[in-house]
Amino acid sequence: MTTHSLSAGALHADRIAKSFGGLKVFHDVSFTVPAGGLLGVIGPNGAGKTTMINIFSGRLGLTSGQVMLGGTRIDGRSTFEIAMMGLVRSFQHTAIFNGHSVETNLLSALRFSRRDRSVLERLSPLLDQFGLIDNWQRNAEVMPYGLQKMLGLTMALATQPNMLLLDEPAAGLEKSERANIDTYVKFAREEFGCGILLVEHDMEIIKRLCPSVIVLDGGRLIAEGPPTDVLSQPHVINAYLGGSDEEDSDVTH
Amino acid sequence: MESFIATGLIGISLGTQYTLLALGFTLIFGILGVVNFAHGGFYVMGGYVAYYCNVILGLPYPFAVLMAMLSMAALGWLFEAFILERVIEDHQATLMVTMGFYLVMATAILMIFGAESPQFPFPVTGVWRLGGIYFPYANMIVLGACLAAIVFVYWLVYRTNIGRGMRAMSEDLPVASALGMRTKALFPFAFALATGLAGGTGALVTPILALAPHVGDSVLAFSFLTVILGGLGSVTGATCAAFIVGLIEAYAAVYLGGSKGALTLFALVLIILVVRPQGLLGREVRRS
Amino acid sequence: MNNRVPKSVPAEIRASLFSGHDWIALAIVSLTFVIPFTSTNPQVLSQTNLILIAATAALGVYIMQRLDLMSFAVPSFMAIGGYTVALLSMKLQLTDVFVLAAAAFLMPALCAIPLGALILRLKGVYFVLVTFVLTEIVQLLLFEAGPITGGSNGLVGMPAVKIFGMELWDNPHVLLTTCGLAFFSFIITSVFTRWFRSEFAAIETNDVLAESLGLAAWKYKAMAFSVAAGVSGLAGFALVNMLLTAHPSSFAPMSSVNYITYTIVGGKASILGTLIGALLLVSATDYFALSGEMSPGLFGLLIIVVTMVARGGVVGVVSGLLYRLAGQSPSLKNGDHDLGGNGEKGQ
Repeated sequence: MTTHSLSAGALHADRIAKSFGGLKVFHDVSFTVPAGGLLGVIGPNGAGKTTMINIFSGRLGLTSGQVMLGGTRIDGRSTFEIAMMGLVRSFQHTAIFNGHSVETNLLSALRFSRRDRSVLERLSPLLDQFGLIDNWQRNAEVMPYGLQKMLGLTMALATQPNMLLLDEPAAGLEKSERANIDTYVKFAREEFGCGILLVEHDMEIIKRLCPSVIVLDGGRLIAEGPPTDVLSQPHVINAYLGGSDEEDSDVTH
Repeated sequence: MESFIATGLIGISLGTQYTLLALGFTLIFGILGVVNFAHGGFYVMGGYVAYYCNVILGLPYPFAVLMAMLSMAALGWLFEAFILERVIEDHQATLMVTMGFYLVMATAILMIFGAESPQFPFPVTGVWRLGGIYFPYANMIVLGACLAAIVFVYWLVYRTNIGRGMRAMSEDLPVASALGMRTKALFPFAFALATGLAGGTGALVTPILALAPHVGDSVLAFSFLTVILGGLGSVTGATCAAFIVGLIEAYAAVYLGGSKGALTLFALVLIILVVRPQGLLGREVRRS
Repeated sequence: MNNRVPKSVPAEIRASLFSGHDWIALAIVSLTFVIPFTSTNPQVLSQTNLILIAATAALGVYIMQRLDLMSFAVPSFMAIGGYTVALLSMKLQLTDVFVLAAAAFLMPALCAIPLGALILRLKGVYFVLVTFVLTEIVQLLLFEAGPITGGSNGLVGMPAVKIFGMELWDNPHVLLTTCGLAFFSFIITSVFTRWFRSEFAAIETNDVLAESLGLAAWKYKAMAFSVAAGVSGLAGFALVNMLLTAHPSSFAPMSSVNYITYTIVGGKASILGTLIGALLLVSATDYFALSGEMSPGLFGLLIIVVTMVARGGVVGVVSGLLYRLAGQSPSLKNGDHDLGGNGEKGQ
């Protein structure tokens, strides 16, 4: 399936595999996120979810297979190139420019992605609802964790991507703050026409938002389909119960 | 052929000295994540302590070496506990304070002992001869003592609980803490061990090579070379690299002359740093 | 959600290119032009010369600090600049100050491009180690490459440089050359670091995030390394011009520690810190040289003190005090409309 005709902006993983040294952490996984579509990714810790995001965003190379964004092959390219092509990731832990204001953080996102300030106007309903406008000049580093996380997500969106990779956006958020993720995902799709690959542990969010999910376990794709169907499959339940304890941690700085 | 073997012996004895310095240096990096710019300072000060005990106070040489080790270990402990510990999270800050401490140490030596190189002869003279091969007894004793110290370090790192704790910490600090390692207590201990080794090496080696306030500069440069070559934080790598450095230095001095040996080494290390930043046997560095 | 009026994004307040600290630093450097015309005191002339050369060299450290990289490579690039000038003037009789300055800037800057491609992938301690090793290599090369560099004799007997055909040979004129080179270096450094301040600040704080937003971090690192090399080369020119000799000992590896000290002790957050650091410490060296070789110890002590209790350095502490006197809180950057405003980080 090398000449798969794809609509512009779709993200397509074609039998991707990754090994570190002799250790295979990712086995021949294939799937597609349609342009403007939303695909959930679930799986126990150590399933390779963050590794996958690191591969798509250009931080890790592939051992075999290929990743296509629209009609362009993106694996092996550098992170900033991929970002400029419209595929932008968020980070599992907070990722903001510490020591700088909310405004500066957002303006940097605009500057680095060569967008102008009008994007902020378009984002303003989101910024207002998350409480970022109220903290506009505040040092982002000292804001509550939830706010920092929403700032990081909004910065990713401010680059006007056509495909967003969200790495556990709800992780670390209070239950009451998790509705913000719903708002964010809906806003990104409706207002920006963004496709989204959503890696998430919170099954409620997955069920609420995702029409379709894939399940990863031990670097393999073990199931795909609507969340309620998939989650009732016995081997998916088994994967969660007997899941490895390995920490699927991100290499953040 | 004989000069080839004799040069090899010199190379090996240089290798043992570098091993002792590099082991300390690499332990500090592996466990604390700190590049110790003051390492050469502990070496020189160890040499001066031994000189003071042996020549000025007239104490026996082995006792002087012991004093050098203990006093440098104590100084290292204090420095770690009261200064380094407070900035340990910030790699640039650790660099600055160790560098600052080196300058303070070098200046202190200069003010106390003066810029002149003192007379600090090795207490044993004579040369061992076999056919055309000459090897001074002094070098032989130093070689033996260094080898013993290396064995001791290996025993400590690989065979004791303290060593296991230190290695666990250099592998993964959070895991080690989770396992109940008293990390804070091990930091000064590891630092003191390393500086004690540097002091002891200084006491043993400076009578043969040279004792002057500034010799720490080149010791630092060679420690850098060794640990970069071997891989920062790798004990085995540091040992192998130290012997490589020692042998190249010895042979280059005889067969190339001038500073070409050093130039060869530095160029080799630069290439290695670029091609394989983790060194010959090192692992990828963890971010502190 | 609730029935409140939606808030809109506040209007942007444009920040000027230069901060107050930049202006002060540039003003101080331009004021030194007065000294060659008003003073004939050799002590004053040589001190000013040394301070300006030290400050210019330390700019190389300052620039790399924008990227959170600690560079020990300043003496290497000073040597490249200095020897380039010495060779051009002695072998090719090129003595025009503009030509020589261009060569002293471009030669190291060009050398830094392939070198940077190799070493800028390294971070933290690895960058420190590789620049340290680089400086050692350059030092050894200066000794070994005798036919070009004159080996341990160095290159002696440089002709005086000329400006518009006029020889700049006596002490005031040598200082004038240094003033010009220093001023030019300060202008380049401040324009360069302020123009790209958002990019540099982002790479310094979180380069992974910056790249994931689309910033080609390597370009900025390469540019910074190259400009830092060029500025160091100008310092090398000034040093060689003052001594009328290019000698390996002028570019000793351990001198990199001095340049780092000037930057850190003065305050690494702004260009003013580099200047103040050089000013205070070179004067202190001069003062303490009277009572033995104490200056390295003093430097060491200051480095430790600054690192432990006053991260902002002299400039950070003083401006913190001034803010407090003015009744403002110095803790947060006021009016941080760009990344890398003029406040102190993490204070």
